[in-house]
Amino acid sequence: MRLAGKRALVTGGRQGIGRGIVDAFLREGAVVTTCGRGARPDGLPDDVIWYPLDVANADAVEDLAHTTNGTDILVNNAGVQVEKSVADSTDADWEAVIGTNCRGVFNLCRAYIPRMTEGSSIINIGSISGKAADPSMALYNASKAFVHGLTRSIAVDHGPEIRCNAICPGWIETGMLDAGFDLASDPTAARQDALKRHPTRRFGRPEDIASMAVWLASDEAGFATGQLFTVDGGMTAASPLNPGLF
Amino acid sequence: MMLKGKTALVTGGRGGIGRAIVSRFLREGARVFAADITPEGSLASHDDDGSIFVKLDVTKETDAIAAMEQVAAEAGQLNILVNAAGIEIEKTIEETSLEEWNLSFAVNVTGTFLTSKHSLPLMRKAAASGASASIINFGSYDGFIADPGLAAYCATKGAVHALTKAMACDHGPEGIRVNAICPGYVDTPMLQSFFTGDGSGAGGKSIGQLQQAVRDVHPMRTYGTPDDIANLVNWLASDEARYASGQLWVLDGGLSAQVQQMKL
Repeated sequence: MRLAGKRALVTGGRQGIGRGIVDAFLREGAVVTTCGRGARPDGLPDDVIWYPLDVANADAVEDLAHTTNGTDILVNNAGVQVEKSVADSTDADWEAVIGTNCRGVFNLCRAYIPRMTEGSSIINIGSISGKAADPSMALYNASKAFVHGLTRSIAVDHGPEIRCNAICPGWIETGMLDAGFDLASDPTAARQDALKRHPTRRFGRPEDIASMAVWLASDEAGFATGQLFTVDGGMTAASPLNPGLF
Repeated sequence: MMLKGKTALVTGGRGGIGRAIVSRFLREGARVFAADITPEGSLASHDDDGSIFVKLDVTKETDAIAAMEQVAAEAGQLNILVNAAGIEIEKTIEETSLEEWNLSFAVNVTGTFLTSKHSLPLMRKAAASGASASIINFGSYDGFIADPGLAAYCATKGAVHALTKAMACDHGPEGIRVNAICPGYVDTPMLQSFFTGDGSGAGGKSIGQLQQAVRDVHPMRTYGTPDDIANLVNWLASDEARYASGQLWVLDGGLSAQVQQMKL
């Protein structure tokens, strides 16, 4: 029970990686609050506290921070992705992606940092796409690079009281990954090809990210701050050019 | 004429990329020593291009000392050192013998160390006289991310990257700039060997098909030419780059800017 006695807030805990983190934090003894747009999702464990919240809404975020009176662990997981190049992206796409992935993270950090006590940990979900580009994901790629930069700034400005790190997931089995493969002319072949590009020969699972989140949230990670932790099955250790797959 | 009045020494100067650098330096007005094991280097033949041949096995300290003595005697100065000599063993660590491992490090890392070390008195002299002094090492994009079956090569290039920063720190105060160029796929004898070698995974494909497939993975839809690399080496060697030091300059047609290809 590595998080016993700690209060955690995980944004976007309805599904995917966020839900994986919620479940892992619960197992480690934390009191877990999560939030998302809309009503409480079916199947969320009863002892998880749910708030309807759009992280892009600064007033609503401030209200939540006041209501919850801070937290020991903040995981900024809520994120959206739009599969478009710059030329194809609309103002609405900008509002959606930047609003949630950038402004949302900023809103949560600004509201919660003054209410976080010594030893608190902020974990932002960045992405390998914030370090190198996925094709036709321009705003998403850029939004994750923003998260990486903000992570370092928070670590620098708000240490030693608060640690702040980012996890950069690779390809995790979620609805977002399926949406990516749907871009391929042959999604099944694309999935097989992508698997071969992972030294682990499998995609990630939400619990793979959650286990890193547990460590970063725990006191074991007391010297870890300001860093980007990539968990991608080794994919980005390899060149995108793999002649063995031609 | 960006390098008029400057003296340069290029190791591997008769090899694929080295030859293009020598040729470019000559066009820019430099006096150029092309150092290599043989006058032909890794290619079949060599036509006189105006460069001065220096016999240099970069793994031998006596050769490095003799090469610098030759430069001192014939030119009296050295402004630019390019450590372009390199080899590539196309194997995993399991397949790599200790001899192959040691040879990789001897050429790619120790060679950079020895040639740079013995160039320092001449480089320092150039810097002290107010002229520029620039060392350009050859890293690789493989020093950041791995190609399969190139273990020793990847490791040596990572070592060159760190050595580049260390040299920049140590000798910057003396007026010597040190940078590394990190090429991606460049059309050289080394690349052609990679296409045809056992470790390339050619899988029954023709070399032409393999080359096209490699081009298609690049955002620029082509791999580089030695001249593309020489363009950046020339800039780093020139006074325009007077504030550039300690950096790793990736030149790869955008290859490593992308995550693994998703669309097929």
